[in-house]
Amino acid sequence: MSPATSVFRKILMGSAAAVGVLLLYLLIPAISFAAEPQMVEQTAWWIWMLLLFAFSFVLGIFSVLAGVGGGVLFVPIVSGFFPFHLDFIRGAGLLVALSGALSAGAPLMRKGLADLKLGLPMALVGSISSIAGALAGLAMPANIVQLLLGIAIMGIATLMMKSRGSGSIIDHQESDALSKMLGISGVYYDEVTKKDISWQIHRTPMGLVLFMFIGFIGGMFGMGAGWANVPVFNLLMGVPLKVAVATSGLVLSINGAAAAWVYIFKGAVIPLIAVPAIGGIMLGSKIGAKLLTKVNTRSVRMIVIIMLVIAGLRSLLKGFGI
Amino acid sequence: MMDKNKKSQGIDNVQQVYSKVLENVSHVGFVLLIGGYFVYILQLLPLSIPIDVIAGNWHLSAAEMHQKLNTPSGWSFFATTAMLMKGDVFSSLSIYYLATATIFCLLFTIPAYIRDKNYIYTTIAFFQIVVLLVAASGIIN
Repeated sequence: MSPATSVFRKILMGSAAAVGVLLLYLLIPAISFAAEPQMVEQTAWWIWMLLLFAFSFVLGIFSVLAGVGGGVLFVPIVSGFFPFHLDFIRGAGLLVALSGALSAGAPLMRKGLADLKLGLPMALVGSISSIAGALAGLAMPANIVQLLLGIAIMGIATLMMKSRGSGSIIDHQESDALSKMLGISGVYYDEVTKKDISWQIHRTPMGLVLFMFIGFIGGMFGMGAGWANVPVFNLLMGVPLKVAVATSGLVLSINGAAAAWVYIFKGAVIPLIAVPAIGGIMLGSKIGAKLLTKVNTRSVRMIVIIMLVIAGLRSLLKGFGI
Repeated sequence: MMDKNKKSQGIDNVQQVYSKVLENVSHVGFVLLIGGYFVYILQLLPLSIPIDVIAGNWHLSAAEMHQKLNTPSGWSFFATTAMLMKGDVFSSLSIYYLATATIFCLLFTIPAYIRDKNYIYTTIAFFQIVVLLVAASGIIN
């Protein structure tokens, strides 16, 4: 490819990314006015539901193409641009993450990618802390949660920028005593290399501590925590990336269920908001999976990072009452 | 065929039990979720709180909305049988079902772990069920 063609392609990719962001935001014409109570009151509920469904659908596509869970994008972005209170968005966000993990769980387990022995101990500590996180998050004033959410989103965007979507090369260190005692190791069949890949883990105690922390954050903000689970499994504990991604979903399904009950009992789960969000994200994820091989995922990832930064700034501003 | 056999290599019996239950439970859950929502928004059953009223107050916090509208939360739906025949309650129950899905899966793993004489994981699965049941009971709220 000549330098001129390469530059042209880069310009084209950049323009496509910008147009993508614009299109996404234009899908919700009321976005700019969402903070205006008069505008919100004038809009019929079913229009908001259709917008939420359409927005969640686009988020579902983008989340798969960008290699992140829908749950992590849902809370920051919807809280920035829809008139619902943050409590209901966090409740819906947890259910979005939970539903995605439940629907993908069974096939991934059958393929040996999601591993129950690896996931269960992490889920046990994570679910306890996610309940604590949910209780803390719902007890805090909304502006403090917005502020903390803004900081968390900026952190996630930074993590995404640095990770570039690739996993580590696994260092084959010896298993630690705890993982040996728990019998955590496995074999999965890699469909790309057509080989059985065996794996084992190390630094299990440190992993448990971090999963406790991640569970708390996930419960507090109602976000899926795949963005944190996967690096801990992969980079810290030496789990192969595919197994890390799949097992992260298993952990999410348990942690999300535990925290969801706290939101349910606090009255923060409204089916009117939660169901279109779940439906939109799940349908979008299926389309996203089909588009995966046809779309330049790097530019999509860049769009998602830009969206997160905008949502994070908006959340910070809301937190400061601006 | 060979690939299929290879894929199932190394996957323990308990994991297969969990995935089978998860598949069935989640399929039923999603059907209930969609069905329940249409019953709700099309108002095929009477509602405990009209949709317009919910929409007019969704800018309030969950606590404020509960105080203002006395929205049912937790298992309070089961207080009377009349409540169960409301469209919004029906839709809420489908969400409750999804939130209990992992409890069903874990319940089936315990006998499988006991059969495998894996008492460490029997204990972990047991405590996980206890954590989820405590959360679902509403005691901690």
